[in-house]
Amino acid sequence: MTIALSHQTSTKLKNPKKHNHYGFKDFYQFDPDSGTIVDWNNSQNILTSEDFIIGLIEGLEEEVGDASAATMYTIGCEWGQKDAFFFEKWFEKEYDRSMRQTNLMFLLETWWWSFTAQGWGRWEVDLGDRKQGFMFINVFDSAVARTLGDVGKPVCYLYAGLFAGFFTELVKKQLSCIEIQCYSMGETYCKFLLGGQERIDAASFWLNEGATARDIEKRLRSGELQ
Amino acid sequence: MLSQIQRLSQETEGRYATDEELRFLTDYARSFELRVQTYQKLQSHEVMIVQQVQAKMKSIDPMLFRQGSEDLTHKWKRDTLRVLRYSAAAMLIDDPESMRERFLFWFQTIMRAFNAQKTCGVTYTVMQDVIKQVLTPSEANLVLPILEVNRRMLGTV
Repeated sequence: MTIALSHQTSTKLKNPKKHNHYGFKDFYQFDPDSGTIVDWNNSQNILTSEDFIIGLIEGLEEEVGDASAATMYTIGCEWGQKDAFFFEKWFEKEYDRSMRQTNLMFLLETWWWSFTAQGWGRWEVDLGDRKQGFMFINVFDSAVARTLGDVGKPVCYLYAGLFAGFFTELVKKQLSCIEIQCYSMGETYCKFLLGGQERIDAASFWLNEGATARDIEKRLRSGELQ
Repeated sequence: MLSQIQRLSQETEGRYATDEELRFLTDYARSFELRVQTYQKLQSHEVMIVQQVQAKMKSIDPMLFRQGSEDLTHKWKRDTLRVLRYSAAAMLIDDPESMRERFLFWFQTIMRAFNAQKTCGVTYTVMQDVIKQVLTPSEANLVLPILEVNRRMLGTV
């Protein structure tokens, strides 16, 4: 049975076209009777603790070992691809315009705001290298990295997959993503590289050889792998 | 104010609040009339304030309202009115914290997406000068700190 969820707080009913609806009270509608938490875009949310995230990651590691990173990435990819369609619907409804006729940065900020409101962290997108076929995304307060703490290796495979999936659908071209710097490596924020498979494979190789995010940025910007 | 009341009710759960903890309410009660008066003045002078800000900005740099071949005056006016109204409401209920959470954090990312930081910086600097001329010093003192937060959040790269 499918239950149609609909966000019907007084804020939304009074002002359905309000765009700055990401404050906690505006964004979520808690219904204690049905036990649901519905966000502004009528999507159902669940609250989880850090223990849940640890359980998810460690449980997966126990089940599939080293393949857990690839599994999380794949889950992220599917999530991102599905979310691209979901986003397209609510964006066009809220802004009365096609996604394709919108300023790209504005579009991306709008996409990520739901994630920010849901606790996935703030982000910063650097489109400066887009014409060269790659871009960088910084994530501050990654829910996964913040939970696991300093474990000496990148852990945000779910995010990398999410970006790969979403951007692949957005630009209709197969893209991959790799986390090249992580809060869980003792850095202050996480950094992701998004681009074609060849570039991501190269970055992965350089990373294994001990390169830092800065080294990778330099190598890509200097035109290696054009 | 509303954020402070919420915090007070959480922190004093099951006990009476101390005089120190209640001070913000006394301060608010004392400033209430001035706040309403300032709010009403902002409301009645809104169009004039925005016009003056626009004119001063044009004299500083007419290119502030252009991006390539696009004239941004209409967009700028709409955004500036919106920020001014949120600022007036935040001043009235003495709750800049809610304004940050419900509006500014979001608006900051949108302004950055459109590379509008420079225009925002000038807008809320100039608006502070205009407000000083339109309002009395005690009225202006209630509004200027909020405009300065706007300038810092929206106008810095």
